Amino acid sequence: MRRELHAEWTKLRGLPGLGWWAPALVVVTVMTGVAASAAVTCPWAGCGSDAAKLSLAGVQVGQAVVALLAVPAITGEYGTGMIRTSLAAMPRRLVFLAAKAAVVIGLTLAAGTVAVLASVLAGRLILPGNGFTAAHGYSALSLADGPTLRAAAGSVLYLALVAALSLGVGVAVREGVAAVGIVLGLLYLPQVVTLMTNDPDWQRFLLQVSPASAGLSIQATVGIPSLPIGPWPGLGVLAAWAGAALLGGGLLLRRRDA
Amino acid sequence: MEATIDVIGVRKRFGRTMALDGMTFAVRPGRVTGFVGPNGAGKSTTMRVVLGLDTADEGSALVGGRPYASLRRPLSHVGALLDAAALQPSRTARDHLLWLAHSQGLTGRRADEVMEQVGLGSVARRRAGGFSLGMRQRLGIAAALIGDPPVLMLDEPFNGLDPEGIVWIRGFLRSLAAEGRAVLVSSHLMSELQDTAGHLVVVGRGRVVADAGVAELIAAASRDRVTLRTTARPEAMTVLAGTGATVAAVDRDTLTVSGLAAGRIVELLNGHAVPFSEVAAHRATLEEAYMELTRDAVEFRAAMTPLEPGTDREGAR
Amino acid sequence: MTVVTPYRSAVRGARDGFAQLLHAEWTKFRTVRGWVAAMAVVAPVVIALGLFSAAGNSSSCSDGPKVVPCPAVPLGPGGEAVSDSFTFMHRPLGEGGGITARVTGMTGIITYPPPNHDQIVNGLVPWAKAGIIIKESTRQGSAYAAVMVTGHHGVRMQHDFTHDVAGRPASAASPTWLRLTRSGDTITGYESADGVHWSTIGSVRLPGLPATVQAGLFVTSPADLTVKPNAVGGSIAQARFTQATAVFDNVDLRGAPPGTVWSDDQIGQSGTTQWEQEHKPAGVVSSGGTFTVTGSGDIAPIGQEAGQSIEHTLTGGLVALIVVMIVAVMFVTAEYRRGLIRTTLLASPRRGRALAAKALVIGVLAFAAGLVAAVVTVPPATRILRSNGNYVLPVSLLTELRVMVGTAALFAVAAVGALALGALFRRGVAAAVTAMVVVVVPAVLATASVLPLEVSRWLLRLTPAAGFAVQQSIPDYPQVIGDYSPQAGYYPLPPWAGFAVLCGYAALALALAVLRMRRRDA
Repeated sequence: MRRELHAEWTKLRGLPGLGWWAPALVVVTVMTGVAASAAVTCPWAGCGSDAAKLSLAGVQVGQAVVALLAVPAITGEYGTGMIRTSLAAMPRRLVFLAAKAAVVIGLTLAAGTVAVLASVLAGRLILPGNGFTAAHGYSALSLADGPTLRAAAGSVLYLALVAALSLGVGVAVREGVAAVGIVLGLLYLPQVVTLMTNDPDWQRFLLQVSPASAGLSIQATVGIPSLPIGPWPGLGVLAAWAGAALLGGGLLLRRRDA
Repeated sequence: MEATIDVIGVRKRFGRTMALDGMTFAVRPGRVTGFVGPNGAGKSTTMRVVLGLDTADEGSALVGGRPYASLRRPLSHVGALLDAAALQPSRTARDHLLWLAHSQGLTGRRADEVMEQVGLGSVARRRAGGFSLGMRQRLGIAAALIGDPPVLMLDEPFNGLDPEGIVWIRGFLRSLAAEGRAVLVSSHLMSELQDTAGHLVVVGRGRVVADAGVAELIAAASRDRVTLRTTARPEAMTVLAGTGATVAAVDRDTLTVSGLAAGRIVELLNGHAVPFSEVAAHRATLEEAYMELTRDAVEFRAAMTPLEPGTDREGAR
Repeated sequence: MTVVTPYRSAVRGARDGFAQLLHAEWTKFRTVRGWVAAMAVVAPVVIALGLFSAAGNSSSCSDGPKVVPCPAVPLGPGGEAVSDSFTFMHRPLGEGGGITARVTGMTGIITYPPPNHDQIVNGLVPWAKAGIIIKESTRQGSAYAAVMVTGHHGVRMQHDFTHDVAGRPASAASPTWLRLTRSGDTITGYESADGVHWSTIGSVRLPGLPATVQAGLFVTSPADLTVKPNAVGGSIAQARFTQATAVFDNVDLRGAPPGTVWSDDQIGQSGTTQWEQEHKPAGVVSSGGTFTVTGSGDIAPIGQEAGQSIEHTLTGGLVALIVVMIVAVMFVTAEYRRGLIRTTLLASPRRGRALAAKALVIGVLAFAAGLVAAVVTVPPATRILRSNGNYVLPVSLLTELRVMVGTAALFAVAAVGALALGALFRRGVAAAVTAMVVVVVPAVLATASVLPLEVSRWLLRLTPAAGFAVQQSIPDYPQVIGDYSPQAGYYPLPPWAGFAVLCGYAALALALAVLRMRRRDA
């Protein structure tokens, strides 16, 4: 496995555009969070806004940038025919995929940590100016605060799970553009489709099982009892999606001709 | 329109590399012009400049006296095969030709005709993605012929062909030229053009090294060289080298001498009583002529062969 | 050298032209099965989602434990759904004449306003209205013209629910003289500070006004709206009861048919609130030429808080839009990936035209798919929703057509933009992610997420997602307080302006792509 990891890391470094990927993830995530934080005010105590979730709102856009790394990491190999060379060098296909997943997820964890920490810091600086003050029941965002730490760490894990999901879909679909469409569709569309029904039970069910809305409940720090799914179970739903995608992709990779 | 290609003083720089450095030559109708040179000599770039895909920094490249971009229905003026792998794999061979035909205002009939012409009629409805390299080359040639153009440019059409395919393409190119077309065929192996090209443009380091008929080139390469057969090789070498001639040993009893006429050699050997069995004017092969011409122009020595894109970098570990 | 006869081509084609390029690009598209299949599922996806969700949505009204037919929503003269409830002291008016009155003051209450929603306060909501009105009849939704004093918006002249003209920015506390005159179909509104010097606010035509109409005093006060973010996503709009009271004097009605008298009515009131029962009922109290009129409700168009809009049935279009954009990106990046773009440029050396042909083909295909999807979804899904007891806000045929054609145009322009991104980036995945991030993601975040209202609005002004505004069938009105948030289906830009933003981005991307294609070696 060590050799495979080393090989995959070398390959990932050679991916075109990798140099700007991590900065792009950080900038997109932080800027979205800043825009959201700057636009919201908390005019009175009990305004109901979730400060941690607000400052981490950039994750909702950042996840698309994660797909931008994780999908081509595998579909690029199919596009160039490199996959045959890779599988010739690493005939244990599941090990090959695991190594690739480890490298992609590792990189996402690293860049995601920077993005999330910067977002929390930005929220800490911006939000008190918008009425998120002690008088209105908000203390400055701090990772020493349990729920905030959970929201921040969970957001990093969320991005990593999105990377795993992207990789799984990529290996199953093999065509990069189509895989990106499926991944982003999975992440963004359930929220919209939910709006199409006015049956609250259905809405709740859709929000419980869709990867993004369930996974993002990890960011909630207020009103948790009213959420369709709790923070950790929600992240678990996304983990199940990611695991299923990777497993399905891995089985297809093993059975199919390269 | 005249069936010609004129490349006049074209320069093209990619970053710090001077890819084309005053490339100048002309391609005339009625013959196959071989465009040869080592890898990286600028053959493909020249073709791309002629076809308007790359823009020249200096100089001009004209087809029938006009720049490619100004041609209306360009495929009826020039047909080109650049990269046989440039196909949408899920499209059938016929459909690939069909859209090209439509782009020139032609119908599916023309697509069928060229498929038959290159011998792909039986696989017309198969996905091009499943084609072998040889079949793709044929499909690429069919695409070049779609507008029935008087000028053809083929970049390395022999690549990936089996011996039978090479024989076929040689005959095919000759017959296209015999119809009065100008045919420019690039290759990095002179042997592939041996019996095909009547005229050669030899390039190296972005410049034309030689532009001549095949017979002339061979004659030039053979000039002043004499093959000497002798049982007393060391003595012969001493005698001849003493006069300032260049002597090279070919095998145990054969020498090649340059810088001395055959008559003078006979005179010298007789004078020093060196025995010999044969003195004959040397007739160079096309390959030798080529090697001689491009010796200084080879871009990459074996020791610094670069990795091809897509090769396995970690495989070396 | 021998003389060679140059080759003369035996093949004769049609003349060179853009039509040939289009034909070639169409052939390219239709000969890749995956693209055709993807484009073919676009309409069925939208239709299925629209019809299934319509079939699954039902609503009913109950009176206690009993299910009753929902009360009919009145329609204004323009066919739009309106709220038409107010306290009305009126008398018939003939074809010529008018009414004059002085509003000496206006007061009111607001129940349980923010921040704590814990008490009833004195005050007026901005669009509380008191004034004089000439109305076709006492039927809800009938044509009218009125001049009025408002809570915070000064003197206004309004007619037929959707039209509003501002007069002086008079305060609700200071006395204001108001006058309406009728001459046939034409009603003219005046205001005055002293009853001597009058100024005209406006003159409107109410076509088909009957000979005898109702004229008189009215007071109404719309509910106080508060919008709170919802923890799950979106926002919760809450409306709380308010009431306004105005005192009128110097009431002078001329042109009443002989034998008619004043009467007063609660137009469109259903039930009374606890406040009305225990503190102050709606109605008219007269004493020596002074009339104190109390009422609540509104005379205004109503929006999506009262029912569903037709474009709601097209929500599944976002799924299809992703498919369309993915295909558009592939249509061009597949050529770059395999070097086929060079063959394309050999066949058509004028690069701008080559890209234009590609864009036109994908645009027309996306338009067709979008149009089929919208036309087969909207009318039947609307019918299903109505038959399930849902209230679907009525719109004119023209608006319905605009929603459907606009959806198709949205698909077309988004596809062209995605194609342009593909040509610009030359890498499929990067182009696809960018297209999603600028079109789909802002739309989703703005309409279906926890993003705060102002962020959502700016997203829908500045990003290409502004184009979704073309689907909005129910307009928002500045003279109405409503939950005009993207979550509620209202876009910050008017339909065609939003669409123009999308078109602008697509044009920019296309121009950059052409520029890059021309500049760079292929």
